[in-house]
Amino acid sequence: MQDKDATAFFFHGSWREFAPIAFTNLLLTIVTLGFYRFWATTRERKYLWGQTHFIDDRLEWTGTGKELFVGFLLVLVLFGVPLVILNFGVQALIFQGHQGVAMALGASAFLFIFYLVGLARFRALRYRLSRTYWHGIRGGSDNQGFSYGLSYMWKTFVGYLPIGLLIPWSMMSLWNERWNAMSFGPHQFQAAGDFAATMKRFLLFYLMPIIIAVAIGVATAIFIPVIQSSVGGGGEPPASFLLMMFAFVLSFYLLLGLVALAFYAKYFREAVGGLSLSTLDFHFTATTKQWLKLFLGDIALVICTLGIGYIFLSYRHWKFFITHMEATGEVILDELTQSETRMSKHGEGLLDALDMGAI
Amino acid sequence: MQIWHYDGRNALKRWPELHPQGDGFRLAEGDWTGEPVRWDDLTFISAHGGQPVYGHKSITGWRLGFTGEIPPEIAAHLPAHSRYGGWIDRVGLGRAAIAFAGLAAVILFIGLKTPAWVAPFVPMSWERKLGDAMVGDFGGRFCRTDAGQEALRKLVGKLESDEDSLSVEVANIAMVNAVALPGGRIILFQGLIDKAKSADEVAGVLGHEMGHVRHRDTMQALIRQLGLSVLLGGFNGDVGGYVNGALAMSYSRDAESQADEASIAALKRANISPADTAAFFDRMGQLEKSMGKMADALSYMSSHPLSEGRRKAFADSAVKGHSYAPALSPAEWQALKTMCKNDPDVAKDDSFIL
Repeated sequence: MQDKDATAFFFHGSWREFAPIAFTNLLLTIVTLGFYRFWATTRERKYLWGQTHFIDDRLEWTGTGKELFVGFLLVLVLFGVPLVILNFGVQALIFQGHQGVAMALGASAFLFIFYLVGLARFRALRYRLSRTYWHGIRGGSDNQGFSYGLSYMWKTFVGYLPIGLLIPWSMMSLWNERWNAMSFGPHQFQAAGDFAATMKRFLLFYLMPIIIAVAIGVATAIFIPVIQSSVGGGGEPPASFLLMMFAFVLSFYLLLGLVALAFYAKYFREAVGGLSLSTLDFHFTATTKQWLKLFLGDIALVICTLGIGYIFLSYRHWKFFITHMEATGEVILDELTQSETRMSKHGEGLLDALDMGAI
Repeated sequence: MQIWHYDGRNALKRWPELHPQGDGFRLAEGDWTGEPVRWDDLTFISAHGGQPVYGHKSITGWRLGFTGEIPPEIAAHLPAHSRYGGWIDRVGLGRAAIAFAGLAAVILFIGLKTPAWVAPFVPMSWERKLGDAMVGDFGGRFCRTDAGQEALRKLVGKLESDEDSLSVEVANIAMVNAVALPGGRIILFQGLIDKAKSADEVAGVLGHEMGHVRHRDTMQALIRQLGLSVLLGGFNGDVGGYVNGALAMSYSRDAESQADEASIAALKRANISPADTAAFFDRMGQLEKSMGKMADALSYMSSHPLSEGRRKAFADSAVKGHSYAPALSPAEWQALKTMCKNDPDVAKDDSFIL
């Protein structure tokens, strides 16, 4: 077995090989008014999965564009059409002054969508695992995800309840619930991510406003006398003051973004670190700095190419994901038998419609 | 050439030899022998670096891969490579792209034109029912006094001979706007009447909305909105985006200028001066420019984009030296203006969503 730099996962794609796929996908997506995107996604994944080595062989994506398309049609029928009718209904009710009924109808639509979001996250992961092959063996789940949808609703709700303090718990708990329902070959995934380790970073969110308030206080104490002496107590505040205020607001958002990134980096390491499959233990190594570089790179790429670079983001993200994925342990090949889980006929349509990532 | 193989049952990788047999082959490695496989059962999976991999139609995970040059007697039986998927591979990327682009143009054209083609065939009775369902009594916000309604009826009657097909109301909402809704329903908002300096100005705005009704523009817009929300709703899942749709229904530039023409013609028939309407547009334009009062003007402006051309069309249609009759007498105009104030039963202006 080959061991490149002792990591089990290795990505050996190149953006030069990806470019013809991405550009032809863009062309076909435009001329088909967007309908090719299901087949485009499939082509991208075939390449990305195919360039990903795990231990001694490549992964393989066997999903098809048709599956994704059927998933999309399902969303349209089960979800889009009732919502359009509901919208017209709510409009009519408001016009006629039945605001209470309109609000109740709107609220139930919101709850319905909320549930579907949870269901969609589960289904998307299940779909992706069931179409991912390694050594001719695939993953999947026999769980339909209906109860996960309910868990998603109440755990997210409880997470936000005590001024958001339980959000890390709800995220990790949902991650574990999702992955514990998944399997690869004959083996069930075990997810035991612990949210406690992420709390320190999460609490920075609450510390931030205090730090900023103190900083503003100090800055005002220093600058106010300067300003007063320069303008003599009247007239417009000087430009330097406005600039400073602007810098404060900007740095507030930047700092908040950094805290979010630091938290997410830790969360993802913990979540993947708690994941195992039979004798395999998974790890994720990306640090906050590496995540930051990824996103700054994304922004630079998209801006410098006037938006065209957008089509390379999926490549960059997959490469980042695989580069920082690691696994330790051993795979016993003749015990890794084919998955017996049911294969759904349709793809991740719901999730696709709600535009969210699977992992 | 070397062959590698997964049987799809477990993860063991084999390096078997391929023995042709009938219309297929059998794989064998040492004392292991696979099931017989027909060439027809093979499906193309991928080709990384020119090394093709094939699957089996009915055995998931079954894989047959080649490294090195494939002998022609085997290659002849293997299924064709697939790249873009389906028949794009058969006709080629360039031709497929052109065909798709042509088709897309046709679909866009039909999509844009369909509402205009379909709208005239929607029975008026359906449209009326739809309008009733949508608007109802507008939450009790319609203002009604005997004198005010009499004045409004007179104004409508001057502009439109078939006035029974229309239902014009004044709503107790302080928004400067007027809308035409399905079923010949026209709503003038109190804010617009407040801003108008004369009944002639209201007549011009009313004539415009009547033009929309006559051209079935509301039905077209409704069909377009329905089509778009089904299509786009599926695309981006943006649910909130079209909640405010009915009021934001926008008409094409052509429909707007046709409605203006209808309004000018109606004013002419009724011998009402179009100059006041031009003045009204002028004032609204001024309002739009002055930042402070922007919000007042914005509503009408956003649904009725105002251009110099529109104002000019009204101004130019005024015949110099012609003696126009006022649309309403001063007493009638006063009754219309104060209808909302004098109606004790009207719902309060809460404009919570409008």
